[in-house]
Amino acid sequence: MADEEAALSPPLFHRRDPIKSSVHNTAAHRRRQQAIAVGKERRESLIRAKRLCRDSVIDGSESPFEGDMIIDEEKEALDSKTSQTVLELKSAIAFQGKGATQKKVEILRVLRRLLSQSEVPPIEAVLQAGAVPLLVQCLSFGSSDEQLLEAAWCLTNIAAGEPEHTKSLLPSLPMLIAHLGEKSSTPVAEQCAWAVGNVAGEGEELRNILLAQGALFPLARLMMSNKGSTSRTSAWALSNLIKSSVSSSSFFRFLVVRPDPKAANELIRVDGLLDAIVWHLKKADDELATEVAWVIVYLSALSEKATSLLVKSDVVQLLVGRLVASESLQMLIPVLRSLGNLVASDSYMIDVVLIVGHTITDELLSGLIKCLKSEHRVLKKEASWVLSNIAAGSLEHKRLIYSSEATPLLINFLSSAPFDIRKEAAFTLGNLCVAPPKNNEQPGIIVVHLVSLINSGCLPGFVNLIRSADIESARLGLQFLELVMRGLPNGEGPKLVEREDGIEAMERFQFHENEEMRNMANTLVDKYFGEEYGLE
Amino acid sequence: MDVPAETLDALSGWFLQSLSPDASVRRAAESSLAAAASAPGFPLALLRLASLPSADPQARLAAAVHFKNLLRSRWSPDADNPLPGPDRELIKSLLLPLLLDSPDRLRPLLSDSLALASAADFPARWPSLLPNLVSALSAASADADFPRANAVLSAAHSLFLKFRHSFDTPALRLDLKYCLDLFAAPLLDAFLRTSRLISSSLPSSPAALRPLFESQRLCCEIFHSLNAIELPEFFEDHMREWMTEFRAYLTAAYPPAVEADGTVDALRAAICENLQLYMEKNEEEFKDYLKDFASAVWGLLMTSSASPSRDHLTVTAIKFLTTVSTSVHHSLFGSPDVLQQICTSIVFPNIRLRDEDEELFEMNYVEYIRRDIEGSDVDTLRRIACELLKGIASNYREQVTALVSAQIQAMLASFAANPTENWKEKDAAIYLAVTLTPKQTGSGGAPAYLVDVESFFTSVIVPELQGPDPNATPMLKAGALKFFTVFRDKIPKSAALALLPSVIRFLASESNVVHSYAANCIEKLLLVKDRAPAVVPGSNAVPTAPRYTASDINPVVPQVITGLFNALQFPESQENPYIMKCMMRVLGVANLGGEVAASCVSSLASVLVEVCKNPKNPTFNHYLFEAIAAVVGRSGEQDPSLLPMFEMSLFPVLQKILVEDIAEFWPYAFQIFAQLIELSKPPISGNYMQLFQVLLSPDSWKRSASAPALVRLLQAYLQKVPNELNNEGRLLQVLDIFSRLVSVPSTEELGFFVLNTVVENLNYDMITPHIKNIWAALFTRLQNRRTVKFVNSLVIFMSLVLVKHRPDVLVDSVNAVQPNIFPVILLQFWIPNLKLISGSVEVKLTAVASTRLICESPSLLEASAAELWGKMLDGIITLLTKSDKFGAEVEDDVLDIHETVGYSVSFARLHYAGKREDDPLKEIRDPKHFLVTSLARLSAQSPGRFPAVIEKYVDPANQNTLLQLCATYNSTIV
Repeated sequence: MADEEAALSPPLFHRRDPIKSSVHNTAAHRRRQQAIAVGKERRESLIRAKRLCRDSVIDGSESPFEGDMIIDEEKEALDSKTSQTVLELKSAIAFQGKGATQKKVEILRVLRRLLSQSEVPPIEAVLQAGAVPLLVQCLSFGSSDEQLLEAAWCLTNIAAGEPEHTKSLLPSLPMLIAHLGEKSSTPVAEQCAWAVGNVAGEGEELRNILLAQGALFPLARLMMSNKGSTSRTSAWALSNLIKSSVSSSSFFRFLVVRPDPKAANELIRVDGLLDAIVWHLKKADDELATEVAWVIVYLSALSEKATSLLVKSDVVQLLVGRLVASESLQMLIPVLRSLGNLVASDSYMIDVVLIVGHTITDELLSGLIKCLKSEHRVLKKEASWVLSNIAAGSLEHKRLIYSSEATPLLINFLSSAPFDIRKEAAFTLGNLCVAPPKNNEQPGIIVVHLVSLINSGCLPGFVNLIRSADIESARLGLQFLELVMRGLPNGEGPKLVEREDGIEAMERFQFHENEEMRNMANTLVDKYFGEEYGLE
Repeated sequence: MDVPAETLDALSGWFLQSLSPDASVRRAAESSLAAAASAPGFPLALLRLASLPSADPQARLAAAVHFKNLLRSRWSPDADNPLPGPDRELIKSLLLPLLLDSPDRLRPLLSDSLALASAADFPARWPSLLPNLVSALSAASADADFPRANAVLSAAHSLFLKFRHSFDTPALRLDLKYCLDLFAAPLLDAFLRTSRLISSSLPSSPAALRPLFESQRLCCEIFHSLNAIELPEFFEDHMREWMTEFRAYLTAAYPPAVEADGTVDALRAAICENLQLYMEKNEEEFKDYLKDFASAVWGLLMTSSASPSRDHLTVTAIKFLTTVSTSVHHSLFGSPDVLQQICTSIVFPNIRLRDEDEELFEMNYVEYIRRDIEGSDVDTLRRIACELLKGIASNYREQVTALVSAQIQAMLASFAANPTENWKEKDAAIYLAVTLTPKQTGSGGAPAYLVDVESFFTSVIVPELQGPDPNATPMLKAGALKFFTVFRDKIPKSAALALLPSVIRFLASESNVVHSYAANCIEKLLLVKDRAPAVVPGSNAVPTAPRYTASDINPVVPQVITGLFNALQFPESQENPYIMKCMMRVLGVANLGGEVAASCVSSLASVLVEVCKNPKNPTFNHYLFEAIAAVVGRSGEQDPSLLPMFEMSLFPVLQKILVEDIAEFWPYAFQIFAQLIELSKPPISGNYMQLFQVLLSPDSWKRSASAPALVRLLQAYLQKVPNELNNEGRLLQVLDIFSRLVSVPSTEELGFFVLNTVVENLNYDMITPHIKNIWAALFTRLQNRRTVKFVNSLVIFMSLVLVKHRPDVLVDSVNAVQPNIFPVILLQFWIPNLKLISGSVEVKLTAVASTRLICESPSLLEASAAELWGKMLDGIITLLTKSDKFGAEVEDDVLDIHETVGYSVSFARLHYAGKREDDPLKEIRDPKHFLVTSLARLSAQSPGRFPAVIEKYVDPANQNTLLQLCATYNSTIV
């Protein structure tokens, strides 16, 4: 009973609260990836956020040597030529005579070439010369497809520039969105989608404006197009449009700003969207499938509604299929992230879809193991994260992962991988040792797993996590140590922890500012290394 | 903010009077202030006074302090008396401007106030704060007004600190994003601008440069906080700008006068911490800079500086290198030359004792010990240097082992050549050996590297312990004692016993550290346990036995005790907890002769008299009472004739504690009394009966911290003199205490303890008149409070009534409260809670009681009660199988510690005054066996009846278990 425990420490002078969250309260829960991004978006998607349009969207209509004529021109010359062209455009618009339309298109084409010929297009010059209102005029209804296309192309590349460049497109947005609709020819709609995608990639403020102006629905329709490049471009634009961050700084009054699922919710409600996603994942080439997978990433990260529909559709099987079949980094990242989001946010995945014994589960695991073995850091990290969420599932899931090839790989990560991978691996390994909670009882420890992980030398890795500057990792380390001290047979746990300098690591939190960590660490030290009174 | 001048004058007057040496003036002023505090606008008046240039400086300072304390107690919305809304808003609008304009003396106080207020309100309820800070920073930075800029920066620093040590949650990220959006760019601007100013060398005197470096340091601190969660986009985009400046500060050498000021080193330390953070969390983005920084930090550690104390910088710099050494880029340090250099130029020099260490050893032994053996040395140079060594050893073990072994040999050789001059070399060798040798070498563990403990002990430590003069080179003696203590498990018993007299000799050392370490060494030796040869089959627990027993230490006990009491006479060791703890341990193990025991108790009582005058060291006091309890318990049991002597020594001081109301000792005093009563033979002396009256008075129970000890005392009385309760309505008083305790959640368990004790020790005829009231009280309570804890306690109590008396006594007395209520209680509470019972005695008690209920109680054997019967059986099986599962008991312990810790805020249970766990069912060894045989006997009376019930109402898994149990115990249910 309590008597002996009470004798463990002479109290009176240091009150310690009980461990508020022992390991099962947190580690065994699935973790979503942080929806609020403070850091840069991952490089791979950042590159995608805005894109310059170098080649025509109409296949083969441009001759490749065309750009040569001004390739070596100095920037200054380029700028002055650009300004000149904008002036010409202005007078061409004013000119109403015969051949005026043709003239306009020709000048627009020159301007568009100037804007597409180098990696550093003369956007500044275009804007200073006042091109945006002229280009908006060129987008007016009834204009020829050719004119619309050239104007939208110019706007696309202006929008690919610096933030203030993108913002200058504001007056053109209603017309760009208008041309996304079904009445437009496919090339025009696609080019406008590209421009809109660039604008959406700029940030929250412009995204909100685009949404308010109704860009979402026509883009969704466009994604259902049969033309590969069109659906690809609109999928990309959509993913830019629905990825929500928080709208904090400008209207910071009341702190109830959350990642806004509104756009994602709206998107999933568009008729036929889910079918289009399934269709593309099933049939499309890698490039299109990649863009569609990014749409799934944002849908699953933001909208519960979308998630619950996705998990019950064929999407999961198709994603797993892509995961297994593809070797493309570009593709694997969004596929992994989508699968991870789905597992993390809907228990249907673990309880119904990924049943142990079903082929899909084995396929997923083998796909994940492939990623763990890959050279790419991002793949290793994302795959470990997905695994950590599956490892939070049933006893069977834990056994499956434990006995797979993943375990030695993860153990290796824990000791030698860079920090972010190490942390994900630790979450997975920790979850493998905790039995899922039953009814109201406290979950127990899977001793077999724990013992074998310890024998494989995992303990130092977890002790190192406690020393980490990352508080979450430190908590995970403490929780694992608790398992070890409580769960290893023959009371070996505390001895092993002491040998790996675990006491010292825990004592770092003796006076820590984070109350929960302080209490956890102090209680553990007291409980397992407090004074031994019992001498009988 | 208009505060009438007369209010300010009055306030100012009170503050000045509150500093008066005249107590009555002071008290009057304090009460005026306290009275004014509840008026609305009071905090603003304080703030106004604090910022009033014309006011008396002392009054301003006092007002600022008062203001800060006011915010501390009343700002939080959860506070008892939170500040009213309008006051809060005004404070929020005024605080920052006043802070920035205030004189240096007041600024820290107002800055603290800002931090306090912002902790609750920033950012959501204080949207103007950060924009105001940003504009103030930009303005001050543009004007090169550093005092002002630094005030802004330190305010911002306190706002952002939470990002370093809070868990990563969406809410925190929202705050962080907000802070980054507003502050990241202005921060970099200010940092770069100040950098240009520093490198322009315009301000060249240390005094002029100081605020600039300070400013940069604050920027670096803020950098750390803003980067703590993850690498923010802005900082990634501007990494080169930051890193270029960081590197410049690490590599630039400033004029000696500037360096000597120490501010540059503080800046460099902050930079090293940032590098460490990036190295750990953002190593991929940081890797391009790594090589340059590794060599810059390296260079810093190699150069000597005019800075008087660059410890902090050295610590942070070594930490950075340690992180690099364990990272994926460890090969940076992999070449033999570099390894050699790290050891000889960075690690080994920092292992050696320094003058500061010697000073601490002599001047502040408590702090020295805390750092040396209590693990508070995380940031000392010695420790950090060892961490670096371990870091490089994790990838280059063999090389490092060779280097360190050679170093230890060299140090020992140098000591041997000239012991008087070079004793610090030996000290460093011992330190290395202690710190780098794994403490435990269990199965499958890493082999001990560096040194072989036993041979090092024999050749290096033993000569030190046996040296002729116990007062020579005390630091070396302390190191040797520490080595012995740390590796006590590995030193063979015979060797340790042979050394014991030498260790006892050090109790007389004049050095506080040395006699503390000697006491600690003896104490820890007595805790060593060995695996006992006999292993109980099927049990997970490994039986252990103490290595040193009474017969081992009895011969030296008189010397130890004398040594310990003498050591308590040394200056500053009068309340030395190490000494008292050793005393407690020795008294708990040894067998004392009667005379020794009596004199020991009397000496301890005199120590107690001393500490009663001013109890200030709770650790020491706790061990003191433990020591008393140990000797009273052990010797009193062996030789009851000693009791009168013990009582003679202890009564006066224990009574003093009660009479003078020394509250923190009450729980101890009651426990010692309880112990004495248990040891004495009835009739017990009149003194105790007087105490009994104190115990029964409701006033004694008002102090919740004493309640557990009072229960314990009550138990002692009830066991010793149960019939006394028949007199003078005492039983009613006891029951009154019970209902009082049980009506409060925090003491309800104690209430049950009282009740259980009554039932266990009194005849049923004494209880009969009251039992109906007891049930009524419990069931009333049950209606409002159905927590698991309460219901469990109730089930345990009912079980106790059943096994102490009979099943029908329980059933009938309960039904007497309300007809046929018993089956309802059974169904709603007993059965569902049965499987939640924990603790081996409790499980056995409730299982046996439940078994008897279904096998003996006529009401449960009626045909109509079949379902109840079946469910009860199901519950019993679940309870008994649950307790088998591995981990179940361990889990219970976790629960227990929660509860214990809950009330042990002020109640300290004395282990040596502890009661043995009383098993009310000693005659039944195995509740499973009892269940199966009882069922077999019952079913034999009406064959065929029970298997059907079992099949219908018992869970299939449990049916299976029951079958297995029947097989195990060779019984059948027919």
